[in-house]
Amino acid sequence: MGYVAVKGGTKAIEESIKRLKYERVKKGTAIELHKIEAGMRGLIDQVMSESSLYDQTLAALAIKQAEGNPEEAVFLLRAYRSTLPRKHVSRVISSENMKVERRISASFKDVPGGQILGATTDYTHRLLDSELEQESDISIQDWLRAFQDENHSIENQDHMGDLNHLPKVLDYLRSEGLLAGCENNDLQPGDVTRKSLEFPSMRSERLQILTRGQTGAVTSLAYAVIRGYGALHPTVGELRVGQLPVHLDHPLLDEGQEEDSYYIGDFTATEVEMLIPLTVEKDQGKKEIEFEVGYGMCMGQNETKAIAMGILDNCLEKPNKEFPSHNEEFVLYHIDSVESTGFISHLKMPHYVTFQSKLDSIRKSKDKTTEQEVGLHE
Amino acid sequence: MRRRERTEILIQGSEAIAKEFAKEIEMIYKVTVIQKPESALVLLKTRETAKKSLFYLGEMLVTECTVQIQDSIGIGIVKGHREELAHSLAIIDAAYQADLGETRLWSLVLENEKKNIQKNLQELNRSILRTKVNFETMDVQ
Repeated sequence: MGYVAVKGGTKAIEESIKRLKYERVKKGTAIELHKIEAGMRGLIDQVMSESSLYDQTLAALAIKQAEGNPEEAVFLLRAYRSTLPRKHVSRVISSENMKVERRISASFKDVPGGQILGATTDYTHRLLDSELEQESDISIQDWLRAFQDENHSIENQDHMGDLNHLPKVLDYLRSEGLLAGCENNDLQPGDVTRKSLEFPSMRSERLQILTRGQTGAVTSLAYAVIRGYGALHPTVGELRVGQLPVHLDHPLLDEGQEEDSYYIGDFTATEVEMLIPLTVEKDQGKKEIEFEVGYGMCMGQNETKAIAMGILDNCLEKPNKEFPSHNEEFVLYHIDSVESTGFISHLKMPHYVTFQSKLDSIRKSKDKTTEQEVGLHE
Repeated sequence: MRRRERTEILIQGSEAIAKEFAKEIEMIYKVTVIQKPESALVLLKTRETAKKSLFYLGEMLVTECTVQIQDSIGIGIVKGHREELAHSLAIIDAAYQADLGETRLWSLVLENEKKNIQKNLQELNRSILRTKVNFETMDVQ
């Protein structure tokens, strides 16, 4: 299909952009960025994850400009990201070094290190809290003081565990021989932001596309898998949320030693290991159940997306023509926020020439039909 | 104290310490700014745990600055928009690279700040551990 550009309308477009600003500010109140940053953690985490850019302040700015519309905010952040130089690649980040703030397992009640609920909506009643209508900066400060006093009064209980070195469920399963062991694979990852995706894709490319995928799209496809449009029955082996430290090697000197690296800060991440049972045939037709792992990790606290990513990761490791959810082209080409919303929303842009040519074709075929009908009657 | 531990303390601790150290150096030595603080991206290379392979999780916005003291180059790099801190970190890095005598006196300050950071972290952990739960499975008849 060819495209024909349109021109004109400069004045109307300028007025339209002014009108857009009017809609954002018409109630006469400005939202300060720090308030978005302080009170919209969930949206900020979603936007950072889908934008593939970690910076709360920029995410807050994008959310403000986009009037809270995540697809527009992600578009803005991706566009901004493309203007910045990428100067470094971090040292390898490992979730073993996570400062854990939340860690649960749906598979093992007595998981080594314990179940730590952290901050979660999982056990809330989902009743609208009308008291929040009256919440003020002063009432928040009062609450924070009381919360901090309560925490100061907690005695040191060493037996409760060390959150910076929590054992991994997968390591426990591997040590018990319930999960096949594996060595580190240091093959350099592919980067879909620099090289277009080709099929069959690399595992690193699949994980990169899944982690920056649109939350709703990734979740919907994973839901379809469990409802029957896939061949998995997964359980959350371990879900952890916490802070991961980032280190860089010296860009000029080849020091190579971890102790000489630069620490640049922590970021919040969600990591999920999904356990997927699989029946395998052993010697003499004997069948045994083994576990496979689906891996999900997202920037920010994005638990549903990380779980969904873990499901789709495992699906894509096992291509199956019966299900689109096991088809990497189907999944990977349709979950990116900017690509999917960009293409769908471009349909409202002028397509006059394309549509007129279709109209002409219809008119011609109708004329022919009418002529033939007239001929038949004569 | 090696760079990793030093930068952890300077970034996680009070920003006043980095500012104070940098000011001390600037008063005595000529500091040439090679690259003023500016935004850049760091690609986050991550190891997944299912097959223990590597992938890129995304990018982090950082502020980066480069300075020179005598013949030594110092780099300051920190998450987010923190121009003043990046500048201070670059001066401190150059001071250590040049092995300036002042750096030897900083160890005690850094060790003390490290204790403060650990104390705050322990307090945070104790607070989080209040959400530790022991689920009991109900008896099945």
